[in-house]
Amino acid sequence: MDQSTHTGWAAFIIRTRWLWIVLGLALTAAVGMGLGKLSFNPDARIFFAEENPDRIALDRFEAEFAKDDNLILVLNAKEGGLFEPEILAAIGDLTENAWLLPHVRRVDSLTNFQHTYAIDDEMIVGDLVPDPPNVTAEEAARAKDIAISRPELVHSMIDPTGRYGSMQVMFRLPGKNPETEVPTIVAEAQTLAAEFRAEHPDIELRLTGSVMINNQFAVSGQDDGKSLTPLMFGAILLIVFIAFRSLVGVLMTVSVIAMSAIIGLGALGWAGVALNSVTVLAPLIIMTLAVASVVHVLASVRQTMVHTTDRREWARVALDEHGAEIAVACITTAIGFLALNFSISPPFRQLGNVVAVGIMGALFLTLTFLPALIAIIPIKRREALASTDRVMAPLAEFVIGWRKPLLIGMSLLVVVLASGIPRLSLEDDFIRYFDERYEFRRDTDYFERNLGGLNMLEYALPAGRSDGINDPAFLAQVKDFTEWLRAQPEVTNVRSLTDVLQRLNMNMHADDPAMMKLPADEQATAQFLFLYELSLGYGMDLTDQINIDRSAMRISASMAEATTKDMLALDARAQDWMAENAPAIAIAPTGMSQVFNLIAYRDVRAMLLGTVLALIAISALLLLILRDVKLGLVSLIPNLIPAAMAFGLWGYGVGAVTLAIAVVIAMTLGIVVDDTVHFLAKYKEGKRQGMTPEDAVRYTFSKVGMALFVTTFALVVGFAILSTSGFAVNGDMAKLTALTISLALVADFLLLPALLITIDRRETMNAPATVAATLAALIGIGALAAPSPAHAQSAEAKGLAIVQEAERRDLGWGDFTNDGEMILRDAGGNETRRIWRGMNLERDARSGEGDWSVIVFSSPRDISGTATLTQAKIEPSDDDQWLYLPAVKRVKRISSSNRTGKFVGSEFSFEDLGSQEVEDNTYRWLRDEACPGGTGLTCHVIEGVPKNARSGYSKRVTWVDATHFNQHKTDFYNRRGDLEKTLTVTGYQQYLGKYWRPARLDMQNVQTGKSTTLLQSKYNFGTGMDESDFNAQRLPRLSR
Amino acid sequence: MSVAILLLMATPAHAGEEVLGADFAELRGEASVEAILFPEDPLFAGQEHNSLSFAIEPTGILEWNSVDNLGGADVTATVRPFLRVDTQDEERTHFDLREAKVDLRFGDTDVTLGSDIVFWGKTEVDQLVDIVNQVDGVEGTDGEDKLGQPMVAVRRIVEVGDFSGQASAFYFPYFRERTFLGEESRLRSGIIVDGDDARYETDAEEWTPGFAGRLAGFYGDVDAGVHIFHGLSRDPAFEVSRTTVVGGQVVPTELRPVYGRITQIGFDGQYTSGATLWKAEAIGRFDQRNLDFEREDYVAAIAGVEYTLFGISESNADLGLIAEYAYDSRGSRALTPFENDLVLGARLGLNDAQDTSALLTAAVDTETQETVLRLEGERRLGDSFKLEIVGQAFLNTDDASVTNDLRDDHSLRITLSAFW
Repeated sequence: MDQSTHTGWAAFIIRTRWLWIVLGLALTAAVGMGLGKLSFNPDARIFFAEENPDRIALDRFEAEFAKDDNLILVLNAKEGGLFEPEILAAIGDLTENAWLLPHVRRVDSLTNFQHTYAIDDEMIVGDLVPDPPNVTAEEAARAKDIAISRPELVHSMIDPTGRYGSMQVMFRLPGKNPETEVPTIVAEAQTLAAEFRAEHPDIELRLTGSVMINNQFAVSGQDDGKSLTPLMFGAILLIVFIAFRSLVGVLMTVSVIAMSAIIGLGALGWAGVALNSVTVLAPLIIMTLAVASVVHVLASVRQTMVHTTDRREWARVALDEHGAEIAVACITTAIGFLALNFSISPPFRQLGNVVAVGIMGALFLTLTFLPALIAIIPIKRREALASTDRVMAPLAEFVIGWRKPLLIGMSLLVVVLASGIPRLSLEDDFIRYFDERYEFRRDTDYFERNLGGLNMLEYALPAGRSDGINDPAFLAQVKDFTEWLRAQPEVTNVRSLTDVLQRLNMNMHADDPAMMKLPADEQATAQFLFLYELSLGYGMDLTDQINIDRSAMRISASMAEATTKDMLALDARAQDWMAENAPAIAIAPTGMSQVFNLIAYRDVRAMLLGTVLALIAISALLLLILRDVKLGLVSLIPNLIPAAMAFGLWGYGVGAVTLAIAVVIAMTLGIVVDDTVHFLAKYKEGKRQGMTPEDAVRYTFSKVGMALFVTTFALVVGFAILSTSGFAVNGDMAKLTALTISLALVADFLLLPALLITIDRRETMNAPATVAATLAALIGIGALAAPSPAHAQSAEAKGLAIVQEAERRDLGWGDFTNDGEMILRDAGGNETRRIWRGMNLERDARSGEGDWSVIVFSSPRDISGTATLTQAKIEPSDDDQWLYLPAVKRVKRISSSNRTGKFVGSEFSFEDLGSQEVEDNTYRWLRDEACPGGTGLTCHVIEGVPKNARSGYSKRVTWVDATHFNQHKTDFYNRRGDLEKTLTVTGYQQYLGKYWRPARLDMQNVQTGKSTTLLQSKYNFGTGMDESDFNAQRLPRLSR
Repeated sequence: MSVAILLLMATPAHAGEEVLGADFAELRGEASVEAILFPEDPLFAGQEHNSLSFAIEPTGILEWNSVDNLGGADVTATVRPFLRVDTQDEERTHFDLREAKVDLRFGDTDVTLGSDIVFWGKTEVDQLVDIVNQVDGVEGTDGEDKLGQPMVAVRRIVEVGDFSGQASAFYFPYFRERTFLGEESRLRSGIIVDGDDARYETDAEEWTPGFAGRLAGFYGDVDAGVHIFHGLSRDPAFEVSRTTVVGGQVVPTELRPVYGRITQIGFDGQYTSGATLWKAEAIGRFDQRNLDFEREDYVAAIAGVEYTLFGISESNADLGLIAEYAYDSRGSRALTPFENDLVLGARLGLNDAQDTSALLTAAVDTETQETVLRLEGERRLGDSFKLEIVGQAFLNTDDASVTNDLRDDHSLRITLSAFW
C-alpha cells in the first residue's frame, strides 16, 4: 500500500472510530457464537488422518479382529501375594463388578482365566478359580502354580512372583458420542476402584489401559487450558505493563488478544470441528502472537505522546507508520500456520487454520478496533521519551566494530549447532506423551515396571487360505515366531494361540507333559479348537485372535518402557527373522503403537512440502515488500538458520522429539520473519536516505531494536509458558518454537547486520567503475543524437525536422482518457456503430517503446466489455498486444504482426490506429500550401515511406499545418502505388494549453466506396494513470 | 414469472444516471433461446429427442471512484446472475450467480470479495491450469461454462526488471459442486450421475477451504504463469450409488460424484513470435482420484502452436491454424478425454462489421482413433442479436472409448441471443 492510501485509511479509522468499536465487537460476537458449538474429542486417534496408510492398516486389522479399547486394573497384594483366598475372593468380586461398567465386551481376570485340563480322556475347560468367595488355601496355591507357569499370563496378568496382577476389561465403544463415552467409563471405573480400595485397604489398585489414555488426552487438554491461560494472561499483562506503565494499555491489550482468541476458536466452532488436545493450545498461541502486533502500536503511541496531546494523532501515527509492517508480520505468520495444512496429522492442520484465522482477526482488530480505542479512551500521557537509544546504541556499535569476528563466529556457531540435527530421534510413545504429573502416567509406569508392557506390536499372520490356521506347517511357523519373539530381551509378553493349542493337545492326551506340542494334523487342530470354543465362558471367545474365515492369526508382542526406536528395531529384526525362517507368514505389524511409531517419519516428509511452500510464499512476500532481490535473498539466512540452530541444539541437549517437530519450522518461519521484515525495512530506508551501511545499521537499531526485543521477549515468554504443558506434543512444539524465536533474535541482532555491512561494503567498492561506464555511454549517445545543422536544408531533412517538431510539440502529455465511436458505412450507406472507452499512456520513445493504450468496447452489446491492451514498439518490432474476452474472462496475448488487417471491419487498419513514431518512416518534404478544409492555415506536405516491409502502404502523404503542427489530411497509397484511402482530420481542440486533439477522423476508401468515421470525445488529461493501469493481468478489472 | 423477471431485467440501462451515488452504473444483459437437434434416435431410456431451452444473463455494474472511506480505493460492484430454463431436463433448469462481487483497487493492489469467475490458461482445446471455477456441466460439452466461485482474492502488480505481471492469492471459503445432465438429456454418459448426491472426503464438506496462489505476467515475447492450488478438486471421481440386478448380474444405474482434497502446481506459457503463437500448459496434481477411484499423483500437459494467416487471398479474413497435443500420465485412468490426443483446428475470422467467425476442430485420440469433430460459427444480426451454431459429431467410437455413450449424439446446437 502506498503512503497516501495509508493516510486515508488511518484518518478514516479515527474519524469513524465508534463504527470500528461496534464492528470489532460485533465481529467477535458473531464469530464467537461458534464457541457454543465447540465440543472436545478425546480420542488418541485424532492424530491419524483417514488417508494415513498406517491408520488404514490399523482399521483393517481392527475390523478383522477387535478394537482394543481396554481398561487395565493393576493389583498389588502388599503382603503375601495375590493367591490368598480372601484376595482371590476380592478379585472375583471385582471381576463380577467390572462386567457392570458401560459398553463392556469382555473381562479377563485371574479368576476367570480359561484353564484347561484333562480328566481321563475328557478335556475340561473352566475358570481358574471357579468359585472365588469359597476358595480354599490349597486351591489358591494350585491356581498360583498354574498361572505362573502359563507364558500367556506371565508379565501380563501376573508377575512371576505372584505379587502383582492385572485384570483387563475390554469395551466395545459405540462411537456415537466420543465426547462422553470414554469419560463415563473412566468415571465409573474410578468409582469402582474407590469402592474396592475402601473395602480392601490391603490391596493396591491402579488403572491404566487405552480408555485411560484417551481420557488422558481430554484431561491434559483441559488442564492445559485451565492452568496455562491465567499464567499466560499474567505474563502478558506484566510485560505490557512494564513496557508501557499503563493500566489502560494493559486493558486494551487484553481485550484485543482475548477477542482474537475468541475469533479463532469461534471459527473452529462454526466449522464444526471438535477441539482436541492440540487445538486447545490455539487460543494461547493466538494471544501470544497478537500481543506482538499490539505492542508495535502501543510502542508507537508511547513515542508520539511525547510530541502531542492529541490522542487521535497518536492512533493515526501508529497506523500510518506501522500498519503496513504489522499487516505483513501477521500475514507471514498466518502463511506459516496455514502451511500446517500439509501435516498428515489433522490436529495440526486444525491448529494451523485456527491460529491463522485468529491472527487475521488480531490484524483486523489491531488496525481498526485498537486505534479506535486509543482515540476514545484516555491513556495517561508521559512527556519523556522512553530511552531506548541507551540500550541499543552500544549493541549497534558492538555489532559494527566486531563485524568480522561476529560473522565468522556466528557462522561457526550455526554450523556447530546445526550439526546436532542428526542426533534428533523421532520418539512418539503416545503413552509417554503425558509427563509424571499425571496419575495416569505414574500408574502406567508402575504397570510397566512391575508387570508388562502397554506398547504392543500386532502381527496378523496370514495363513494364506480359509481355515488355513489349522495347517500344522503354518502353526509351526507361528510357534517358532512366538518363541523367537519371547526370546527378545525387550519383549515382556507374547499372546499367541499356539500356547493354547499345545496345551489342548496335552489335555487331549490325558495331560501327558510329553504331548505339550502342536497337534499332529489339521483335523486334530480343528477338532481341539472346536471343543475348546464350545466350552469357553461368556465373552471369552477367540474372535479377537482368529479372523472370521480363519485365514489369519493374531500375535501380540508387548514391550515395557519401549521407545519408538526400540519398537522399530525389534520389528526390523522380526522382519529379518520372518524373511529367513517363515517367509509365508511375513507381514508388517500394526497397532496403535506402530501407527505412532511411524507418524513422525511420515509427517516430517509431508511437512517438507508445506514448509518449502511456506518459505516460497513468505520469501515472495518479502520480495514484494522490500522490492529488493538482494535483501530478499539475504533475508533467507536469518529466517532459516534459527530453526536449524534450534533443532541442532535440541539434538545435542534432548535428542528425542515427538511428531511436533515436523510442524515447527513452518510455524516459526512466519513468526521469525517478522523481525527480519522490520529490520530490513528500516535498514533499506536508512540506505535510501544515503547512509553508509554502518549508519544504516545504527539507524535500524535505534528505530526498531527495542520493539523487536520486547516483542520477541513476549513471544518467547508466551511459548515458554506453553512449553510447561504436560502433554509432550504441545510441550515439544512450544519449547522448540521458543528456542527458535530466541535464536532468531540473536541472528537478527548479531548476524544480519554484520552480513549486510559486509555485502554492501563490497558493492560500494565496485560502484565508481559502474558510474563511470554509464556516464561514458550517456555522453556517447548524446554526441550521436546531436543534430547536425549542415544538412538542415535538404528535403529529407526538412521533412524529418517537421515531423520531429510535431513530435516534440506533443511530448509530455502524460496520459489521457477519451471516448471513441466508429461509424462504419458500406458503399450502400448502411451504418454500423462501435463505441468504446480509451485510455492512453505516454512512453518515452527513446527507450524503444511506443505509447500504451487500452480500448474497452461498450457497443455492439454482444462484445461489450471486450478490451485490448497495446504496448507499442518502435518498428520493425511487433507491438505487445493482449485481448480480453469477458464471456470466458480470458486474457490472451495476440499476434500483432498483422499491420494491414482492418480494425473491426472498418476502413482503419491496425497500422493506422497504432502508435506512430518518428522512427517508423523516412520522410521527404514535398511543398507548402493552404491546408485542406479552409481553415486558413498553411500546411507542410510531407511524404512518409514506411521502413517496415510488412506495412500495407508504399507511402503516405500528410498535410501538417505550420502553426500548430497538426495533421489535417493523409493520403494512403497501397503497395502497388495507387491511392487507396484518404483521411480527413477535423475538430482540433487544445488541451492543457498545449496539446491538440481532433474530434473527428473520416477515412474514405476511394477504391471500394466504403467509409468510416471515428469520433473522439471527452478527452481527459492528467488522470493520474500509471503503468500499473496498463498491466495485461489487470484487463479484466478495466473492462466493466 | 420468468417473463416478469425478463421485463424487470430489460428496463433500459441508464449509463451515467445516479444510482447510490455511483460514478458509473450500467445494467446490460443477454437473453437467448437454444435448440439442440439430434438426427439419430436416443441411445438410452429416458432421453428425449431434441432439446429446447431459454436463458437469461443480466449484468449490473456500479462503480465508485476514489472512495475516501476506503482509503481512496476504486470500488466496483458487479452482479451477473444466470438462469436457464429447459423444457425437458430439470437438471438443466438452473440458476447461478456467475458473478456477485465487489472489486476494490488500491494503487497496485486489487482485492476481490464475492463470487467471481477467474480464467487461467493459454492453450485452446483444454485449460489444464484453469482450476478456480467449477464446470457448469449442464451448459455445454466443452467445459467452458463455469460456475461462480466465492472467493477472497488479493492481487498485486509485480514489476521486476523487464518482467511485468501480477501476483495473486486466493482463498475459497466454499466449494461449488459440478452440475450434471439429467436423465432426459442427450450428450450424457449412459449411467446417470446424480450431482446432488455428492460425497466429500473432507469433514467440512463444501465448506472445506481452498487456497491458491498465482504469479502471471510477461517478459518480452513470453507470457507465463505459475500457480499452486490446495483444496477440493473441481474434478470429481465417481462411485456407484445405485445398482440393479439384470439377469443375475449387478449393474450400476447411478453414479455419485466424490470430491477429495488435492494439491496442484502448474505452469502455463505462450511465446509470441510474429504470427506464430507457441503455447504450453503443464500441471502436477497430487491425491486426485482417477477413473479407478484410486488416489493417483499425475502430470498432464498440453502443448501446441497457432499460426495465423492474415488477410487470406487479398480479403480481410484471417485464418488461424491450430495444432495441439494433450498428454495425461494416467492414460486410460484419466478423468479427462484428453489423455493422449491430437487436436487440429482452423479458425476463420471474416473481420467484417458483423464479426462473423467460425472454428473447426478435430480431436483425435492417438490410440483409439476416436474423433470428435466440432464446428462452431457465429454472426451478429443487426446491432443486438447474435446467431450461434455448433455442430458436433463422434467418429470411431469403439466399445471401450470414452465417447462410446455419445456415439448417436451427433448434434446441432442453434442459439439465438438478444443483447441489450
